[in-house]
Amino acid sequence: MAEERKAYLNEDWLAFWLAIVLFLVSLLAYKGIDPFGWIVSTKEWLKLEKAIEPVGKKFKGVSGEITKIEGNKLTLKTKDGKEQTVTVEDPTKYQVGQMYEKKGLSGFASLVLTYLFLTVILAIGAYLLGANVGRFLIGFFFIFWLSYLCWLLGHYAYFAATDPKKYNIPWSLKLTGEGGFIFALALGLIIGNFFRPFAQFLSEACRPEFYIKTAIGLMGALLGLKSAEAFGLASAIFFRGLCAIVEAYLIYWALVYFIARRYFKFSKEWAAPLAAGISICGVSAAIAAGGAIRARPVVPIMVASLVVIFAVIELIILPFLAQIFLWKEPMVAGAWMGLAVKTDGAAFASGAITDALVRAKAEAVAGIKYEDGWILMAAATTKLFIDIFISIWAFLLAYVWCAYVECAPGEKVSIKEIWRRFPKFVLAYFVGFLVILLISAPHAPKVKAVEDEVKLINKEIQKVEKQLSTVTDPALQAQLQAKITDLKNQIKAKQEAIKDSKKVVDQTKTATSGTNALRVLFFLITFFTIGVISDFRKLWAEGIGKLAVVYVVCLFGFIIWIGLLISWIFFHGVKPPIVGTGP
Amino acid sequence: MAEKIREKDIAQELEKMQYDPWLPFESKLVWGCIGLGIILLIILVWVSYTFFPSS
Repeated sequence: MAEERKAYLNEDWLAFWLAIVLFLVSLLAYKGIDPFGWIVSTKEWLKLEKAIEPVGKKFKGVSGEITKIEGNKLTLKTKDGKEQTVTVEDPTKYQVGQMYEKKGLSGFASLVLTYLFLTVILAIGAYLLGANVGRFLIGFFFIFWLSYLCWLLGHYAYFAATDPKKYNIPWSLKLTGEGGFIFALALGLIIGNFFRPFAQFLSEACRPEFYIKTAIGLMGALLGLKSAEAFGLASAIFFRGLCAIVEAYLIYWALVYFIARRYFKFSKEWAAPLAAGISICGVSAAIAAGGAIRARPVVPIMVASLVVIFAVIELIILPFLAQIFLWKEPMVAGAWMGLAVKTDGAAFASGAITDALVRAKAEAVAGIKYEDGWILMAAATTKLFIDIFISIWAFLLAYVWCAYVECAPGEKVSIKEIWRRFPKFVLAYFVGFLVILLISAPHAPKVKAVEDEVKLINKEIQKVEKQLSTVTDPALQAQLQAKITDLKNQIKAKQEAIKDSKKVVDQTKTATSGTNALRVLFFLITFFTIGVISDFRKLWAEGIGKLAVVYVVCLFGFIIWIGLLISWIFFHGVKPPIVGTGP
Repeated sequence: MAEKIREKDIAQELEKMQYDPWLPFESKLVWGCIGLGIILLIILVWVSYTFFPSS
């Protein structure tokens, strides 16, 4: 007999609080502490021992030959030939040519600590949700380790590398490390559809909507930093995302409602939640619209069960279509995922896959390296606005229904409905976003501008050094040497001028890198659990055929394509920042 | 078991659905939304490209 306990919070509020607490802890970075530096991060690998390490620099081990000592900074040449700088307290202990070694936290220890940390915070969460904590913990054990196995596999160079030459391998699927999300989804689907008793066994911990809401709450801070670095682009994405969803609401809902009523003869009670579920945001929209028009609870629940299945189908298909046809318009691809894919979990997840796939294709085909996260930001922005607008839409529907269909005597539609249905996890996203934006906005653009200038000067130095190596005339050599010294002095002066700003930006990066590593893990678990709960047998359930036909006709008939058109209108020509160009 | 009951529910609930005539307010609602959507599209595209350029 399942244990029934009182729930202190719902998933929405829990996601809000969890994201807020983790975000607040991450702010310790401004006090010189890296509170989440020990969280595991995964790299592309050929040798398994190089795959995992802690995310924070302070926690990573480092060894190499000392090539330069400047102040208390040592420049090392590591075994793989890369240069790395470490700061030491007493530089007099070291000499150029000596070997330097600092032991760090091992990757495996970091992974185990991460698992234990997530287990503890989620067990508290499960308790507050009124779940069976014991069953949750057992379920979460399998969910975490199976998901992480997929993530690790996804980072195998043969699957992930966008440049196989870097690893001296003949080929690669070029999925980037985010291919691990696809593996996690696939494994989840296999378990959900072929190992149903095991899926049932995991069910207490299969809460993809909760995991994704927490992940989105955590993502706000990272996007705040990105927006501070490119404020114009970020504000364009925000405004255009808002425009796109206003359009989507008005056109999608009306068309689906019309088709369901006129051609499939659904009643108003069925058509309104169905239109909201198919056209807007799946489960929560169907439930909100159902509540607004006083439909019986069974109606939105049935619609919701269909939404979940079709969202997974979209998640499997649309990111790959976007990679094939929209890699030249990355932000259109991102916004399209936000507009077309229903349910929060599947929409944000498809945004993450699209981000990886489109960047990989742009790099492979055109040699353009886009900064990661912006495509996901376009998807997340449109989806978040959609979530916020559900509450407003539900209010408007309730008003229209009360005015034109039926209204109980004395019933009034209260504006409080908007707050009641407002998705609270969105607040965590905006708190993180705004706090980090306000902290880093005065500093990040300065630092970025100087870093870009330094890159150009370094290129110039390399050019002059090349020239110097071919010149034999001593006068010319001295002239070129002087030029190099002058350029290096320019770099020093520029770096000195932004020293304080750089410190703030570095602290912000420390704060966001830890929460971002957690965000990635929550995304990963979302993919896996979406797969586990997606039982495709429901499509063949007796009686659901008519609903499914409306869904297929509307979704694949026009929702996806109107979403694409709206995304194109508002986002074509908008490109993420370019961080490099290929060979 | 719960799954079977739910499947049965779906069939029964859909069968129970009675004829519900299309009301004039629904025409206003649907075409009002689409019309507003098209008008706003023009305005919002102009605002986006004028005040929030992509670069």
